Amino acid sequence: MIRQVSIFIENHEGRLNHILKILAENKINIRSLNIADATDFGIVRLILQETEKGIEVLKKNDIITTVTPVLAAEISDDPGGLSTLVDALTQAKINIVYAYSFLPKKTDNAIIIIRVDDEVQQKAIETLEKVAKINLLDRETLLLK
Amino acid sequence: MYWNKSYECMPREKLQELQLERLKRMVNRIYHDVPFYRNKFQEKGLLPEDVKSLEDLQKLPFTTKVDLRDNYPYGLFTVPLEQIVRIHASSGTTGKPTVVGYTRNDISMWSELMARCLVAAGAGPHSVIQNAYGYGLFTGGLGVHYGAERLGASIIPISGGNTAKQIMIMQDFGSTVLTCTPSYAIYLAEVLAEAGIDPASLKIQAGIFGAEPWSENIRKDIEKKLKIKAYDIYGLSEIMGPGVAIECECQDGLHVWEDHFIPEIIDPVTLKVLPYGQQGELVITTITKEGIPILRYRTRDITTIKPEPCACGRTHLRISRLQGRTDDMLIIRGVNVFPTQIESVLLEIGEVEPHYQLVVRRDGSLDTLEIKVELSEALFSDRISNLENLEKRIRDRIQSTIGISAKVALVEPKSLPRSEGKSQRVVDLRKI
Repeated sequence: MIRQVSIFIENHEGRLNHILKILAENKINIRSLNIADATDFGIVRLILQETEKGIEVLKKNDIITTVTPVLAAEISDDPGGLSTLVDALTQAKINIVYAYSFLPKKTDNAIIIIRVDDEVQQKAIETLEKVAKINLLDRETLLLK
Repeated sequence: MYWNKSYECMPREKLQELQLERLKRMVNRIYHDVPFYRNKFQEKGLLPEDVKSLEDLQKLPFTTKVDLRDNYPYGLFTVPLEQIVRIHASSGTTGKPTVVGYTRNDISMWSELMARCLVAAGAGPHSVIQNAYGYGLFTGGLGVHYGAERLGASIIPISGGNTAKQIMIMQDFGSTVLTCTPSYAIYLAEVLAEAGIDPASLKIQAGIFGAEPWSENIRKDIEKKLKIKAYDIYGLSEIMGPGVAIECECQDGLHVWEDHFIPEIIDPVTLKVLPYGQQGELVITTITKEGIPILRYRTRDITTIKPEPCACGRTHLRISRLQGRTDDMLIIRGVNVFPTQIESVLLEIGEVEPHYQLVVRRDGSLDTLEIKVELSEALFSDRISNLENLEKRIRDRIQSTIGISAKVALVEPKSLPRSEGKSQRVVDLRKI
């Protein structure tokens, strides 16, 4: 299980930069970034090299954050690789809330970050590991440089 | 043209005699029948007999919207409910509305005054009045309705909204007088223009517009676009409803029906009465109302009293067009909105005290309200749909409690101005 930092921002110029600057000034490396946008606001989802410190400096700057548990699944970087994963979850009737890709450094495989509802998280882990034989990465492995 | 010449053109000396006699009777009644007023008199060491002249009114206590709320719903009524034949309500400063009750005589008085207003604006028994004020707890719809029936005009109780139908009725029924808010009149004019209907092809001659502040420029705009004469009308439910004051054909100030109301202008800070001609807060005393007589009601509306005789022949004092408010009440599409009401809604939804800002804009001819709310960590969710649902929940709650549709925008914490002043809570970008 990976701890992703979710941040609320208003959807206008300068807001994303504000957050990125706070992290940069505190020397916190961003390992992945995903933005979901509504009309007036957005949610920035980050995987940070140093999660706790990142949350601390963001909160100190009055930025609303929450930690969301997500899964990091390693799949083959070939046609159909992602489909195997989605198939397994579909058959288990598990809904993917959102997903995005993570750029790995130590493997030739692809890594997909997946968010499922909290109540089916355990079931998702079992389905992926035991049924689809997909490797889920822990934090240390994912963030290896 | 007058509806009731002997009263409307009564020599001022006689009018003031009548006022004093009615004021004395009113003060006597509220002192004996309403504990709230008796306590206030006793606090000031006053007795009803201390009112010997009209000037003595200045010694008497004020009544405010808060007093009405504290005595919610019926605490200030002077008669038992069996004598009340109608109840209206308007927005309170918080969740609870301000409630007023009318006896049969009150409805009759209101109809009489409203009939005077309609005639002052050129209507008569031959008129076909399209009444696009809302019918319901709001006094606008029924107030105009009863006045039109008293006058013997043909009233079309179409109520507000449904613009396509308004236009169809205006064309087919041959309406000659339109009654609605000024912003709705502009909207109707624009829709007519878009539909390629020349207002000159309609029978409409006059409009009686009120329930929200408007300027001389808007009047000119409406008169040009609809090819009618546009009259300003003033009223408030706490005093009666529409028809407390109206413009005559001179369109230069609104005559206050002084045989039923005594207007004063006070300095809202020192609470001292100001001489005629000076701008201040309008205070009104009802001297004939039975259901809920009100002593020196602080309307929060800013205006001046014009004592000069009017060319129309009516002797009743005029007030100038309203210049604004002394509190933070907003009038949006004819609906009274207090920031505190919005705050109550937000408090119900959130877990902490909300920081918010109201932004009022005029889009074309319609007012829009945007509510910016600072998101709290407790309400934050990683899912877009949860946040959109939160916005919708606030919107729905505002709609059901205040009766106005608003746009809700979640903003970052500490992004809204923090200064204590209420003005920061409201950004009114309308130019009226």
